[in-house]
Amino acid sequence: MAKYDIVVVGAGLAGLSAAIQSQMAGKKTLLIEQHNLPGGCATSFVRGRFEIEPSLHELCDFGPASNPGDIRNILDSYGVKLDWYECPDCFRAITKGSDGELLDVTMPAGVDNFINAMEKEVPGSRESMVKLFELFQEVLDGIAYITASKGNPDSAVLQAEYPDMLRTGAYSTQKVFDALKLPKKAQNILSIYWSYLGVDMNHLAFIHYAAMVHKYVSRGAYIPAHTSHELSNGMIERFRELGGDVWFNCRAEEFLFNGDRLCGVKTNMGTVDCQYVLANINPDIIYGKMMPKELIPEREKKLSAARDGKFGGRMFTAYFCCDVPAEELGITDYSYFLQGSYDSEKEYKNILGGIKTNDYSIFLCYNIANPKFSPEGTCVCSFTTFGSPVDWNDLSQEDYFKFKNQFAKKMLDSLKAKTGIELRGHIEEMEVASPWTFARYLGVPEGSVYGYETSDWDGMMARMQMLGTDYPIKGLRPIGAAGPRGDGYSAAVICGQLMALNALKDLKAEEEGGNA
Amino acid sequence: MPDLKVKIGLIGKFDMLKFKNMKKVREQAIQAAPAKEVKGEFPINVNAKALHPDYLTLVVDEVIDHGAANAKTFVFKSKDGKALPYFRAGMYLSLKLNIEGSEVTRAYSLCSAPKQALQGKYAIGVRANPNGFVADKLLANLKVGDEVVSSSPKGFFYYEDLRDCPTVIGVAGGAGITPFMAMAKAIADGTEDFNLTIIFNSRTEDSILYKKELEEICAATDKVKVVHVLSREEKEGYEHGHVTAELIKKYAPETFSVYICGPENMYKSVLAEAKKLGVADRHIRHEALGITKTVWEEAGYPAECKDKVFELTVKQGAAEYKIPCAANEPILVAIERAGIKAPSQCRAGECGWCRSKLVAGEVFVPADKEYRRWADKESNCIHPCASFAVSDLVLEVPGEFY
Repeated sequence: MAKYDIVVVGAGLAGLSAAIQSQMAGKKTLLIEQHNLPGGCATSFVRGRFEIEPSLHELCDFGPASNPGDIRNILDSYGVKLDWYECPDCFRAITKGSDGELLDVTMPAGVDNFINAMEKEVPGSRESMVKLFELFQEVLDGIAYITASKGNPDSAVLQAEYPDMLRTGAYSTQKVFDALKLPKKAQNILSIYWSYLGVDMNHLAFIHYAAMVHKYVSRGAYIPAHTSHELSNGMIERFRELGGDVWFNCRAEEFLFNGDRLCGVKTNMGTVDCQYVLANINPDIIYGKMMPKELIPEREKKLSAARDGKFGGRMFTAYFCCDVPAEELGITDYSYFLQGSYDSEKEYKNILGGIKTNDYSIFLCYNIANPKFSPEGTCVCSFTTFGSPVDWNDLSQEDYFKFKNQFAKKMLDSLKAKTGIELRGHIEEMEVASPWTFARYLGVPEGSVYGYETSDWDGMMARMQMLGTDYPIKGLRPIGAAGPRGDGYSAAVICGQLMALNALKDLKAEEEGGNA
Repeated sequence: MPDLKVKIGLIGKFDMLKFKNMKKVREQAIQAAPAKEVKGEFPINVNAKALHPDYLTLVVDEVIDHGAANAKTFVFKSKDGKALPYFRAGMYLSLKLNIEGSEVTRAYSLCSAPKQALQGKYAIGVRANPNGFVADKLLANLKVGDEVVSSSPKGFFYYEDLRDCPTVIGVAGGAGITPFMAMAKAIADGTEDFNLTIIFNSRTEDSILYKKELEEICAATDKVKVVHVLSREEKEGYEHGHVTAELIKKYAPETFSVYICGPENMYKSVLAEAKKLGVADRHIRHEALGITKTVWEEAGYPAECKDKVFELTVKQGAAEYKIPCAANEPILVAIERAGIKAPSQCRAGECGWCRSKLVAGEVFVPADKEYRRWADKESNCIHPCASFAVSDLVLEVPGEFY
């Protein structure tokens, strides 16, 4: 029987990160993945002469070599090297502002640029914007301190060094905006980022929002030169170089226990003995289908019930490869946030109402960031929105293909109406992916790639502070978007590393306990 | 440290407490919930699994012999009698077969209507092929009641109204008619809505596959038309020779998409003819066509390798096999012949299902079968169905689920 120290289940970004970290720590590590390639969402697929990016819009917290973010630092420390392109601008938003007027604004990257552009768009906003970015910085520093303290910060230090983080940290983003007296229009523009976290501004913890937006604005955003597959494949190649083993098309079917301690994994490729599993799997799936019911602690059942199926970001995406360059289609910006109105709470409700009310999409053209993204004379574009169980729970197979194309058509129509850009007539390859597709390839509940909503009581900071309480199964820790850091590429990389380090600590403590 | 000079109404002196209370608030929310069994099952995931199961077990329900056309239609039913995964007309099944100790797969286009899947029925057409390994054995041996393991429907050879013209000229050669049968039936029963003119190349009138069925469909809907072209027989009421630009023009409207399914040489010539008519690349599609049987004739092939047999080390999970690998056959064939179940579907380089990591050694990939991802090429990940050994190899192959 195969025997490893640590088995990482699922080669999504969190799994790749955890596997590299474990292997680097000298643990004999096996990474198993149910699909035939690494990455989970961070992958690519080929249609005709195009290689298509399925999920990444902009990698947060990477930054230029001169101002590296956490992700650049982590990838450097792993020895993962690849080519990156910086995304021009933060976003272009086309929506309706709180004054009822059309809002069409392009916001550049860089804190000064961003504040200047805001001042131009919203005269008089400068003072409160400067305050906001100072507050962002304090929040970031505070989070770094709490992370470094491994969830046990010193109250005195927090009060002395990060008082404004403490003041604002427990509030929703909307409350803090109002408290800062940010002009309404500036709030409208700043709200645009809500969808990256899949929680509206009234329910999204300010601290979570602050951490993300500051990183996007201050360090800019990046994409790999050759789709996210270049990133995930680069990580797996590095893991192999370090001596790690990888089994593809290998699905974990059941976790095996010796008493209440995990001792192995049953897979379609045989049983693997191990001391520890880092599972890039949603806890609801682990508890519901993959381990003995009697070993699931009461509190974990309550946690699942308290979350009550509130998953964020059930993805719906459509990809179009066109046989003309972007400029010929009139595409000038990298990302267009097309949202019915500024009101994130209303728009989120409309999303959950299904196709009839959904008026949200992000339109992206990769060639604007990377002119060599696709063969010369062509471009690749995508739409992203969220699906709702209302549409996808009871849909019949017979209606499925037509329904997904109807959704894609709605987005093409919306793009045309709002920007004049028409892709039809130039589409050479296309693919439409629904929550069913994401459920199929990733195994995630309801096709949600965001894990549980990081809203209200279950926000990122509260989760981070309860790392020691939330993962009670001996020898098993879930990782990924359902974990403490929430969704997103950078969160996954950080979460994988964090949980691997915790696993190593658990193993060491056990070893010492055993020796004592 | 920034000073929030702005008066903060809602945020006051209890905020520190509130921050510290985050843990308590969260714990209270958790403890207030009931300790229910965790289900771990969600309708969207159930739907996804039903549409895309790992594999299917099909039972041969009926075998229709097409006599002089040298082909049979195999009608399958689901083993449990329930609905089979729905599909888009033009998709194929990858059958998983054990033939003489080989674990082989073969792709066959579904020729039945998608609607029939809802009644638990699929059909494929198989034509005799004396040079092949599988077809003739299926024709000789597969009988009613036999079980066959299959993939769910796969492939990209289907109509998209957002991409294609309202009229499709479908050029079929021999058994290449099968995906067009599914499309024609789907149009006739209202599942699909486009105009399909099939230009069907057969050798002789007797060898025309599905002739009567096609006539019936054309009688039932004016959206489907069939033009028979005979290449080895002159007969009244038929076109003759090959599918030329003039012939296409004769039956096509002003704008149209071209779909091609048939032997490789037919594909190449029809492609050239379509281009003569100025059909844009986005309006030309073809079904994956298998792999060359004469790789040594490909540009760039190292001629000295042609007759060599290399050693292939296959690693699959904890298992390891050392097997011979003839240079003139795709690597996948060597793996199958050794009785190893390895993933594959299209067998033409395109779908990437067999993607494997080449740990050591070198391979040759025909230029027109190069569908790999950029990073895969850089890191020596190959599609064994479209790669040929030019040295000893060590290959890590994914597992299988059947």
